Amino acid sequence: MTTQVIDKSLLDAAVKAMPDDRLAGLRREAADRFVSLGFPGTDHEDWKYTNLSDIEALSVAWLKGNPNLQPVSSVTDITDEVRSAIDAHWLLVRDGVADDMLPDIDGIEIERLVDADCSALSADDALSAFNVALLQDGLRIRVEPDAAPDRPLAILNIDSARQRVVQSRLVVELAAGARLELIECALSNGSGSQFTNSVVDVDLENAACLTHTRVQDRHPDHSGIYRLQASLARDANIRHSSFDFGGALSRNDVVTDIKGTGAAVGLNGLYLAGGEQHIDNHTSIIHGVGPATSDEEYRGILTGRAQCVFNGKVIVAEGADGTNSRQSNHNLLLSDRAEIDTKPELEIYADDVKCAHGATVGQLDHAALFYLQSRGLDRDQAKQILTRAFAAGMLSSLSVPACEDFVSARLDRRLAELVDDVDD
Amino acid sequence: MSTQQKELESLVNRRYEHGFVTDIEQESLPPGLDEDVIRAISARKNEPEFMLEWRLKAYRHWLTIKEPEWAHVHHHPINYQDISYFSAPKSDKDRPQSLDEVDPKLLETYDKLGIPLHERARLAGVAVDAVFDSVSVATTFKDKLSEAGVIFCPFSEAVVEHPALLQKYLGTVVPHRDNFFAALNSAVFSDGSFVYIPKGVRCPMELSTYFRINAANTGQFERTLIIADEGSHVSYLEGCTAPMRDENQLHAAVVELVALEDAEIKYSTVQNWYPGDEDGKGGIYNFVTKRGDCRGANSKISWTQVETGSAITWKYPSCILRGENSVGEFYSVAVTNNLQQADTGTKMIHIGRNSSSTIVSKGISAGHAQQSYRGLVRVMPQAEGARNHTQCDSLLIGKECGAHTFPYMEVRNSGAKVEHEATTSRISENQLFYCRQRGISEEDAVNMIVNGFCKEVFKELPMEFAVEAQALLNVSLEGAVG
Repeated sequence: MTTQVIDKSLLDAAVKAMPDDRLAGLRREAADRFVSLGFPGTDHEDWKYTNLSDIEALSVAWLKGNPNLQPVSSVTDITDEVRSAIDAHWLLVRDGVADDMLPDIDGIEIERLVDADCSALSADDALSAFNVALLQDGLRIRVEPDAAPDRPLAILNIDSARQRVVQSRLVVELAAGARLELIECALSNGSGSQFTNSVVDVDLENAACLTHTRVQDRHPDHSGIYRLQASLARDANIRHSSFDFGGALSRNDVVTDIKGTGAAVGLNGLYLAGGEQHIDNHTSIIHGVGPATSDEEYRGILTGRAQCVFNGKVIVAEGADGTNSRQSNHNLLLSDRAEIDTKPELEIYADDVKCAHGATVGQLDHAALFYLQSRGLDRDQAKQILTRAFAAGMLSSLSVPACEDFVSARLDRRLAELVDDVDD
Repeated sequence: MSTQQKELESLVNRRYEHGFVTDIEQESLPPGLDEDVIRAISARKNEPEFMLEWRLKAYRHWLTIKEPEWAHVHHHPINYQDISYFSAPKSDKDRPQSLDEVDPKLLETYDKLGIPLHERARLAGVAVDAVFDSVSVATTFKDKLSEAGVIFCPFSEAVVEHPALLQKYLGTVVPHRDNFFAALNSAVFSDGSFVYIPKGVRCPMELSTYFRINAANTGQFERTLIIADEGSHVSYLEGCTAPMRDENQLHAAVVELVALEDAEIKYSTVQNWYPGDEDGKGGIYNFVTKRGDCRGANSKISWTQVETGSAITWKYPSCILRGENSVGEFYSVAVTNNLQQADTGTKMIHIGRNSSSTIVSKGISAGHAQQSYRGLVRVMPQAEGARNHTQCDSLLIGKECGAHTFPYMEVRNSGAKVEHEATTSRISENQLFYCRQRGISEEDAVNMIVNGFCKEVFKELPMEFAVEAQALLNVSLEGAVG
């Protein structure tokens, strides 16, 4: 296969074709940066197990074929279903373009990126640069000091899945003492292949507190790269829970940078993969100062020919004394053709720290299966119960109670599909 | 705090105990590396044609590859043309047949190192194949070994005496194309040990080699090959000390182990090479490729290492668990101090059904040292029922040191169980206080805690090694209270 590379002329033409709005300057800068970086290959340590060549080929084909930037029009079925399931203030983003109907909530300022006064958007790594270079729109959410909305804020990201590339951007800023419960749902409304490249920038000022839940249940041909980068000031707190059920290729990068003492990071993730799915979770917790704490747990269930990757990095910088960090990754491997590659990393440059990590890969306990069967359940039921129990551990850590039922229903539906797929 | 400061200073000022130079005339090749140098090495060792060809093949491959950069270590670039690739003690032709014939100066060297060769050998029942620089000088207990059919000889001798065995096994575990340093070693290796344990034989004694780099500006390229035939058992000990040097010395050794059906190899290392002075000047670059191949069913390979020396260590003793029910083990204690850097760990490749592996790695980092554990556990699809347990703990002593963990786990079989756990912490004030309260001095308390931390690994070492290792650790960490 000849490698398809996005070259300068191709990207420049696409950038030029985009409207001359407030983002135009940022796009040109980011395009130059992306051209100098290019898509990372598997020789790059962070992309060792995740091959982006299909995504790049799709991007090239899309860029060459007169890029269509029109968002999907009618999505009422999905929006109704989701809106009724979760009690929250809703925002709609279709193919990366935010809806004009923005809710009016006390203490929160919400605006579209094309209307916002954005002087800079993070574009350090190749995919963030690619994101800005072709960015149409996005959302900026700012919570005023000490404000705490009555209900969660939920964003529904709908993709049209029509052989195209979508960039999506979310900027979340919490002023000192502010609190926010944020839910992101990523769903598809179509059946073609699509690549969505999302970036979320989170800035938490002193004692701000963000609980963030992301549910991804896209079409099986969808490829998604999701990057969340958060910076935490003194006593700030972030709890991030991620649930990956759908998509063909999903890559999540979660980077939390602790810049103030007393900050706390909590990361949880659950990934369910079957068929040919590929789900890659990379997390990085940077303890720049101490004392601060971080706590991380990811769990995965794999069947079919799925491949999942977990790479959890904890970096404790020099002088970050009083760091307390725990990290774990547990995987249930239910098929001989599935593959899990896990790497819990520690990089520690300070001595007054307590860091622990653990990782396990295993299968359902035969004794437990036998126990359930001896009590009259058939093998499939027994498997279902044990697998559900394994996943339930992550459900209980769900940081936004409002979406518990929604996540739980999606989980059960996906589990039923996966357990059918299990070979004995 | 002031006593701690003082102790820390005494640690920093501690000189390398084994730093002295034995003045023996060396017959060295001039620095530089090309095909002629390789031909010269091969000719000097009277090697058969196939060995020369093999060396040249490796050299030509080495020219096409780049030095790896992924390790978590930093050093000045190495100029491979500045190194002399061969140095042998003068009396090479007339090999001493017994200890009495060994150059007394050489024996003196061993005495200084605390290895009274003859006494120790008899008392401990250890046969010592002492490698002094690049050529083996004395081999003891040969008779007793040959009675059992065991072949234990310098590599250069094996090339001449046992070419068939060598051709069959050399490079089958670590091929000459394996990596940059293995390719270099394959091209220029000077000597090393060769061990063959025949079918069903339990080696009557522990085999041991002491390495010592002695000539300035001389790279050491040892090559060790150990073959344990069906149902045999061998325990091999390797220990190192080196004299003080100002220029960095490169050591790129290769160790290959082959365990056939029901065979067991235990390979223990205590490495205490010159780590460089307190400014990080000098010291050995220890870039080693060690790998064992559990070829037969029920075979077992066990690596135990205590690494306290070298400026830079880059070493991953690995096991390929090909045989059904084969077992791989890796027990490691690594101590880094001052500006030492170590990037070490293991690879366990599970191919055979029900193969199992255990990894216990204990890292102690003090001063400005940086230490990394880098490990890979790979379970192939056919390795039904594979088991792995990994435990890697780091102890930090001092504000400026670092401890890093990079464990890779790649699992492709649903019947496999893989577990990894790791912790990083410093010696807790509570532990120290508890000991001090009971009248134990701070230094003894630290030693006790550190020894307790490493106990799991020490108990895997052969007895005399365990004693040496414990003493080494106490010396290495004198006064280093965090």
